[in-house]
Amino acid sequence: MDPNVVPLEGGQPLLMSLNGIEFKRHPKAVKSKKAVLFFEVEILDAKTRDKLCFLDKVEPNATIAEIKNLFTKSHPQWYPARQSLRLDPKGKSLKDEDVLQNLPVGTTATLYFRDLGAQISWVTVFLTEYAGPLLIYLLFYFRVPFIYGPKYDFTSSKHSVVHLACICHSFHYIKRLLETIFVHRFSHGTMPLRNIFKNCTYYWGFAAWMAYYINHPLYTPPTYGDEQVKLALIIFLFCQLGNFSIHIALRNLRPAGSKTRKIPYPTKNPFTWLFLLVSCPNYTYEVGSWIGFAIMTQCLPVALFSLVGFIQMTIWAKGKHRSYLKEFRDYPPLRSPIVPFLL
Amino acid sequence: MAASGSGGAGRADNGYGSQQPRRRKGPGALATTYLVIYNVVMTAGWLVIAVGIIRAYLTKGSYHSLYYSIEKPLKFFQTGALLEILHCAFGIVPSSVVLTAFQVMSRVFLTWAVTHSVKEVQNEDSVLLFVVAWTITEIIRYSFYTFSLLNHLPYLIKWARYTLFIVLYPMGVSGELLTIYAALPFVRQAGLYSISLPNKYNFSFDYYTFLILVMISYIPIFPQLYFHMLHQRRKVLSHTEEHKKSE
Repeated sequence: MDPNVVPLEGGQPLLMSLNGIEFKRHPKAVKSKKAVLFFEVEILDAKTRDKLCFLDKVEPNATIAEIKNLFTKSHPQWYPARQSLRLDPKGKSLKDEDVLQNLPVGTTATLYFRDLGAQISWVTVFLTEYAGPLLIYLLFYFRVPFIYGPKYDFTSSKHSVVHLACICHSFHYIKRLLETIFVHRFSHGTMPLRNIFKNCTYYWGFAAWMAYYINHPLYTPPTYGDEQVKLALIIFLFCQLGNFSIHIALRNLRPAGSKTRKIPYPTKNPFTWLFLLVSCPNYTYEVGSWIGFAIMTQCLPVALFSLVGFIQMTIWAKGKHRSYLKEFRDYPPLRSPIVPFLL
Repeated sequence: MAASGSGGAGRADNGYGSQQPRRRKGPGALATTYLVIYNVVMTAGWLVIAVGIIRAYLTKGSYHSLYYSIEKPLKFFQTGALLEILHCAFGIVPSSVVLTAFQVMSRVFLTWAVTHSVKEVQNEDSVLLFVVAWTITEIIRYSFYTFSLLNHLPYLIKWARYTLFIVLYPMGVSGELLTIYAALPFVRQAGLYSISLPNKYNFSFDYYTFLILVMISYIPIFPQLYFHMLHQRRKVLSHTEEHKKSE
């Protein structure tokens, strides 16, 4: 990007400065006809204070994203996603959308750089962590060799609930994969690479553990039989629909490509009315789905997975709830993070 | 891992604060009083165990089967250490709850789920090995905390805490591993703490396999903790050297 020509929104290029006088077409333009002041940006390492890069003739309305791109030119191994730039070595990271001239800096800005480490996109992580359980469960369902013993290889369970459970589990993860591709609008592009190993261990590990017991030749069907399975299925489907409705509602809050945050409100869809009581009804419905699945299969590992998931989602919901309260003065006071009135 | 407490320096930090030897914000006066009492009581308790071992050795004339003479105080005071998790949770001790919980639980696991539960290993010499390591470590560790709280830490105690672990830690780990290993056949035979299919919760647990996994986990965990302690030793003891020189 040539610092002398900054494309504005709509793609109108700035007119080159003529004799130091500049014409801007942007409505928020500097009204005076003084010579435009270019900024200088020096980037130092946050830990060692080494000078890493010096940029001169930076447009005052350049964004942090653009500065990151310039920095990558001199240090190609640090692509923008792994750069954290900040005004203070121990301070918070600046946002990509922040504009240089709006920051509390002089015309020579000093930014501190911290390497966030190898990054991986959220989409990649989600797809990998969800594709695993889908596949792994099926391996146990079809009783592929070396799991249960040769006389059971490729046999099929005689319990109908086992087939139903496979359909539900697979449906759940296919839904998640499709939502990742078509529904979710992520705030962040990337996360640290080590997260993929951590997350996949969790999802794949639990999937294998649950699937082992549900599809085991010695599996014991639920104590209360069909009644129990029917009830569980209703809970499961209700919560799957609920969770999906919330994901759609959240998607519609945010225009494509943007990172705006708004207070979510109930829509015409009754499943979204849970927003009246809860900040993160998607998590509420998710826990509900897994409780349904646990009742359906009457399998302790499933109950444990639901519990661990509930604990993690409660932590996330509380964090999200706190951010909402901090950001919005008029945030509805009746709402709890994840469980109406309780948590 | 139980052994992480059996070196001369119980925790992976120096007991107060995970990075620097200096505490950030001390506990209040009431909390300090409580902690002093707690640490004095624990020091006394482990001294009782030490004396018990020595007396039993002198009476019996051999070092075999000394476990029975100190079984009760060992269980009492080692289990009492669970309180230390609460100390971290309530913030009166600035250590990590997770780290402390891990260390205390591993000790409690060895005391109850292995030594107490599998009676046949109680005669093993490996039990004496880890009990002695734990006893020396804890006496030093709790007196270290007591003196630190009173702001009067003799260099000898600090030195002992950060030096004796070099021998005591491997000693304790060896004792623990040998004891678990000795317990294996009896666990297998009795099906101890194990549940198999079919059952109505569709769950199974094999304690034998679990113990083997515990033993394997020592391989990555022990070196990390040991080298961390060595690193802490270099920092803490050289810091004191400089302090002394500047006086």
